[in-house]
Amino acid sequence: MKALILVGGFGTRLRPLTLSVPKPLVDFGNKPMILHQIEALKEVGVTEVVLAINYQPEVMLNFLKDFENKLDIKITCSQETEPLGTAGPLALAREKLIHGSGDPFFVLNSDVISEYPFAQLIKFHKSHGGEATIMVTKVDEPSKYGVVVMEEGTGKVERFVEKPKIFVGNKINAGIYLLNPSVLDRIQLKPTSIEKEVFPKIADERKLYAMVLPGFWMDIGQPRDYITGLRLFLDSLRKKASVKLASGPHILGNVLIHESAVIGEGCLIGPDVSIGPGCVVEAGVRLSRCTVMRGVRIKKHACISSSIIGWHSTVGQWARVENMTILGEDVHVCDEIYSNGGVVLPHKEIKSSILKPEIVM
Amino acid sequence: MGSSEERVVAVIMVGGPTKGTRFRPLSLNVPKPLFPLAGQPMVHHPISACRNIPNLVQIYLIGFYEEREFALYVSSISHELRVPVRYLREDKPHGSAGGLYSFRDHIMEESPSHIVLLNCDVCCSFPLEAMLGAHKSYGGIGTMLVIKVSAESASQFGELVADLETKELLHYTEKPETFVSNLINCGVYIFTPEIFSAIEDVFKQRKERANLRRVSSFEALLSATKALPADFVRLDQDILSPLAGKKQLYTFETLDFWEQIKTPGMSLRCSGLYLSQYRHTSPQLLASGDGTKKATITGDVYIHPSAKVHPSAKIGPNVSISANARIGAGVRLISCIILDDVEIMENAVVIHSIVGWKSTIGKWSRVQGEGDYNAKLGITILGEAVDVEDEVVVINSVVLPNKTLTVSVQEEIIL
Repeated sequence: MKALILVGGFGTRLRPLTLSVPKPLVDFGNKPMILHQIEALKEVGVTEVVLAINYQPEVMLNFLKDFENKLDIKITCSQETEPLGTAGPLALAREKLIHGSGDPFFVLNSDVISEYPFAQLIKFHKSHGGEATIMVTKVDEPSKYGVVVMEEGTGKVERFVEKPKIFVGNKINAGIYLLNPSVLDRIQLKPTSIEKEVFPKIADERKLYAMVLPGFWMDIGQPRDYITGLRLFLDSLRKKASVKLASGPHILGNVLIHESAVIGEGCLIGPDVSIGPGCVVEAGVRLSRCTVMRGVRIKKHACISSSIIGWHSTVGQWARVENMTILGEDVHVCDEIYSNGGVVLPHKEIKSSILKPEIVM
Repeated sequence: MGSSEERVVAVIMVGGPTKGTRFRPLSLNVPKPLFPLAGQPMVHHPISACRNIPNLVQIYLIGFYEEREFALYVSSISHELRVPVRYLREDKPHGSAGGLYSFRDHIMEESPSHIVLLNCDVCCSFPLEAMLGAHKSYGGIGTMLVIKVSAESASQFGELVADLETKELLHYTEKPETFVSNLINCGVYIFTPEIFSAIEDVFKQRKERANLRRVSSFEALLSATKALPADFVRLDQDILSPLAGKKQLYTFETLDFWEQIKTPGMSLRCSGLYLSQYRHTSPQLLASGDGTKKATITGDVYIHPSAKVHPSAKIGPNVSISANARIGAGVRLISCIILDDVEIMENAVVIHSIVGWKSTIGKWSRVQGEGDYNAKLGITILGEAVDVEDEVVVINSVVLPNKTLTVSVQEEIIL
């Protein structure tokens, strides 16, 4: 089977992290974002993944070769020369997605994290015999999104309503689709929206079905949602009684610590923390609701909450970092500094406190 | 030393990528030394000034950018000047003197009698020929270019005291807290090869001090500054300052303009200074027009030959338009740098701004800065490929590359 992952453009909403690496390679739960999706696809028998991007693939290709070898799956890039919207990229990658077997192919939005219940999706798709299946997720405030109105029993999609003013349903498009090759015949190689142009047509023909996504769902394309997403992700690990989660007297709630990270005495870590490879957390450090990326050093007595600490950064002794502080790659927060929501671009030293949210270039 | 034996090598320190984040967001796309001022890369201006040095045999650019960033520029400028220009890459920052010292073999290859040392991010008239003449008459090992500034601003720089008659450097101190002098170091020097022995002495002293590791706790308190690695040698603090008052170093004062180009705001100001200098040195580079066949030009304006400007537009003062830019009908540009491949649509207005490569400015939109070159958000900067939609107003803001502005913004940094 094949899969297409819509990676899109420059990931500007995840800056400053995306100033250092392309968005699919930003780590989430100690693994590049896109690797979560590729591994789940591999597990259901996908043999080739095509990444639809609209920037230079060179930076990605080295990393991709590495994944290809480790996972034994083929990964290629399909590069748009002009923006093709959410459906156009499928037409661009047509040759790679159709291979005569008639098997349906997956399409994923790269910013989405979930449990990726692809086996269930395949089963449902085969059972209803329709042309396309989309996964939907329940949200509290449906009018912020495009709502999918569907028949409860069969899952057949009646219509899409964009940002409805009155309540029509609470399920929105989760950005995970399983499509028959015939869907490609409906898409021309030009800027096209899959939600506004392609799916409504298939729905009118009563050939579009929706499946409610079991488990968690999050679009982690921006820092605030990234942190919420981490909580949901770690929570799902807990539900599966994963051995990956850390435990011990210094651990509170769900915490992921890479085996090569070093944690000092007297720390209190958690809830909802992930600590990446090669990190050093010195004695007496308090971490909660944060992501600490590869190679970071957190010095003694520091306190970090609700923040993202970028690769190879350091946080000084007694520093306090909180409230959506995002440190890019190689940022050094000096001892005793306070950062309240500072967003710091790569290769900076923070020598004076940031008292209210501000971008430091 | 007979003048037939005279050979001069020029060295320009260009810095590197992790230093100087102050030049962001422009430095996210181009190394600062290659950012254009008055239509030419920043480093081109000191290189061009070296043309006036008699017996110039070689120009070296020293920095820690990747070689490939400078490869194209260096080969084309060598060809144009008919003087070899080479880029030498430091593996890591060694300080201004450390960098010079680590490449001494290259620099001394042609057995130069004099070495001109320039900092790439200095904007001035580079009176090198006159300065060389003065240096020879002083007979010291080095001559520094100096300029008088206001007492308030002096503390940002290296302050120095010079003998009024002999012009000898008597005292030098970097960024002092209290007022020492309003005469400051411009970052332009002429040395004889003896400078290398002076740098070597500092290395030796450092080694000896490291060997006597018995630092008393009081001494440890005194060295409050970050401990520098032994091979990081700063020219001003570590070499020149100790040599002051020993009849080795002299000064040469310039009365022309002088600025440091540390921020994008200052690059806009310095572009203007170089444009006004063109009036004397290369007036053929400046544009002219009166609205009939060509656009109305007021003040000093540079327009690249491949750029297209509609005759109904009014351009200037202090505007620089780079290659393949397209300026539409009725556009007004004041005090701005328009980079390559920019498209500015009808009736738009751009004031005190830098518009990044491949950006587009929509019809009737207004991109404006206050014009305070030193303030953090004093001018508006649009990074590469920023699209400002029709009728949108952008004031005192910085927009990072690849963004589209659909609504007006003020005083904002947009990542």
